Amino acid sequence: MSEAEVLQPSSTLDLGWMDRQGEWGIRAVPGKQGLSLADIQIGSYGEPEERSDNQTGRPRGAGARPNSYRIGGYAVMSKSEIWLDNASFLYEEALQRQWSSATDVPWHTIKPLPDDIEEAECQLATFFTEVEFVAGDVPARWIASTTPDFFEPRQCLLAQVMDESRHMDVFRKRALANGGGLMQTSGGTAGVVGSIDLARDFTEMSSRLHISGEGAVLTMFRMGELMAYNEAEKAMYRLCAQDEARHVAFGVMHMRYMSETAPQRREEIQCYLDEAERQILAGSQNPAGTQTDSSEALAILLGGGKDKYDEGVRKLIAIRKRQVQEYIKRVRSTGFGDRFDNGRSQLIRTFDDHAAA
Amino acid sequence: MTDKTDDKSPPQPPPPQTAPPQTAPPQPAPPNLKWMGKTHQWGTRVKPGKHGLRLGDLNVGIYGEVPPVWTDQTRAPRGAVSRRGVPPLGYAIRDKVDLWADSAADMYEEAIQRRWAPAVDVPWSTVKPLPDDVERSICQVCTELSQYANADVESVTYWQSQMAYGYHEIKQFLATVSFDGARHMEVFRKRALCNGGGLGLEGPGEVNRMILESRGGWTEAVLYLFIVRGLFTQTMYRYLHRYAHNDAERTIFAHCLEDKARHLTYAIDHLRYAVNHQDDQNLILQQLCFIGERVLVRELKDVVLREALTIVFGNGISGAEQGGRIFRRMMSDYITRYLATLKWLGVERRTLFPEELSAYLKAS
Repeated sequence: MSEAEVLQPSSTLDLGWMDRQGEWGIRAVPGKQGLSLADIQIGSYGEPEERSDNQTGRPRGAGARPNSYRIGGYAVMSKSEIWLDNASFLYEEALQRQWSSATDVPWHTIKPLPDDIEEAECQLATFFTEVEFVAGDVPARWIASTTPDFFEPRQCLLAQVMDESRHMDVFRKRALANGGGLMQTSGGTAGVVGSIDLARDFTEMSSRLHISGEGAVLTMFRMGELMAYNEAEKAMYRLCAQDEARHVAFGVMHMRYMSETAPQRREEIQCYLDEAERQILAGSQNPAGTQTDSSEALAILLGGGKDKYDEGVRKLIAIRKRQVQEYIKRVRSTGFGDRFDNGRSQLIRTFDDHAAA
Repeated sequence: MTDKTDDKSPPQPPPPQTAPPQTAPPQPAPPNLKWMGKTHQWGTRVKPGKHGLRLGDLNVGIYGEVPPVWTDQTRAPRGAVSRRGVPPLGYAIRDKVDLWADSAADMYEEAIQRRWAPAVDVPWSTVKPLPDDVERSICQVCTELSQYANADVESVTYWQSQMAYGYHEIKQFLATVSFDGARHMEVFRKRALCNGGGLGLEGPGEVNRMILESRGGWTEAVLYLFIVRGLFTQTMYRYLHRYAHNDAERTIFAHCLEDKARHLTYAIDHLRYAVNHQDDQNLILQQLCFIGERVLVRELKDVVLREALTIVFGNGISGAEQGGRIFRRMMSDYITRYLATLKWLGVERRTLFPEELSAYLKAS
């Protein structure tokens, strides 16, 4: 651009771009929840095509430039790979329900606890600090590799990264707020085959992260009243459960969409669920799993002390049973419930064996 | 509490399951409780201040020791006792100099306090029909800003997941940045689709390409994303706020300005840290600026955004002369701030600064 160009008079306006814009005459109207993402899914700005050819980062529905660089390098270009029907709703809910671990948790209600209880609380908080951002790191990677034509699911995942960041910080805060400290990690989020981190397909990742992993944690958070010793801890679990419920809903709705629109992938998805179920009871990413530090800590918290450990274990078994029941319910809801009826899933029998032992 | 962290025994397999007695109800196996006492520092009691219990407040004792290199390749939280023998996750960014900024924890909490929701916090009812040329221009500007935000999101999420766990404040702050990006993508799309218009033409993508293809490290991405592009975007927001046509637009740009200010705070803080702690970093940044400025000049040669802004500022094609003057003033403000920022960072930009950009300074 020359200096002359910079100082160009108005009479040289080109304005040719005005004829190359997207569909015109759109007037989205706010509903009673404000102007939501669903409200602007109208006309050609509504649902995306089954297959995206957008490699330039163009907003969906905008006019295309034939000379644009293909800078996206997106791996997820098929709608069935990531889509779900209620992403707009989940995203708007996430925005409405953001909270602050600094000010929305009544930290002053935390009072000194017996040593064994505080230590168990800190062990559990260490576990959650360690694992919660799996669900931050991993979705982040998928956001960057998904075409913006599927921005509604991406928006949900961005909200999830934010939520998990808060979860990581609220449990760190709890560990350091009451005379304790962080303890030993579980190592449960290692980079091994079959882990959430290493999945190379979005649905594979989502089945592990949203359906089984976060599902198990959601059950725990919902039972927070049983293991909380003050209003601060109750608030932490309640607020985290609210967030996790959205993340699990994302996974369920996506898998349902996948089941309905890509039936040729059903058997493959069943294999992911086989794998997820093996991990559910192994417990590495499940605080209520068997023989883990966090499960012992939980038993102490649930029982009310080291000397009431057996009572705590009985409550813990009830929680694990509930985790399995809720998992089965979720999988049925996705359209893969036949695995529990045709003998493919070993989950119920294995759980009964574990519980008896 | 005894520190038992010298226990270097590898992870043990679970004990063998024993069959329960046939006659008595099953009893829970006794706990091994080996985890008890395993801590590097006990007795920590962080109290909430007048702004609550903030992330930065937790940086006490060993929990506040941020090492220059984070060698652990797992998700062990800073200050926790690591478990031996855990297969690595392969975090690529493990040097403090490559990502750190002291302000990140504060910016993280500020982002959470200043959260907003485009659906309900923007008074959409104040958007009234505008002349077609003005509406088309606003829609064009919103389209390009939405695309800018998309580049923000894609760049930040790409890098964030590669950052070592020991620098959790940065990862957490970047979670707020990408979430801000989501909101910006959304709010500009909403504005384009709520007043009888539609999306415009996609942007030329020169600078987006530079941001997304910067693979030399997060510091390079920070320079392009937050300084070269970010300062430009922030200046544009300021002018669009000033020349808004209704309260909805004023609200949108006011919120976006707040968000952008946090991003810039982190960026300047990080770049300053990198320059102060790494030999020749200022020279590397200078070289990157030299390249980035020329990419920006190429993008600015595209008339679309310039004309759209001119019409918005001039309130129509008929006011384009006035609008053009405002546009040039905006560019002058941007370049002035850009140069001042780099000077403060210790990055010299008198040499080979593009004539096309310095012309805006002379014209103002």
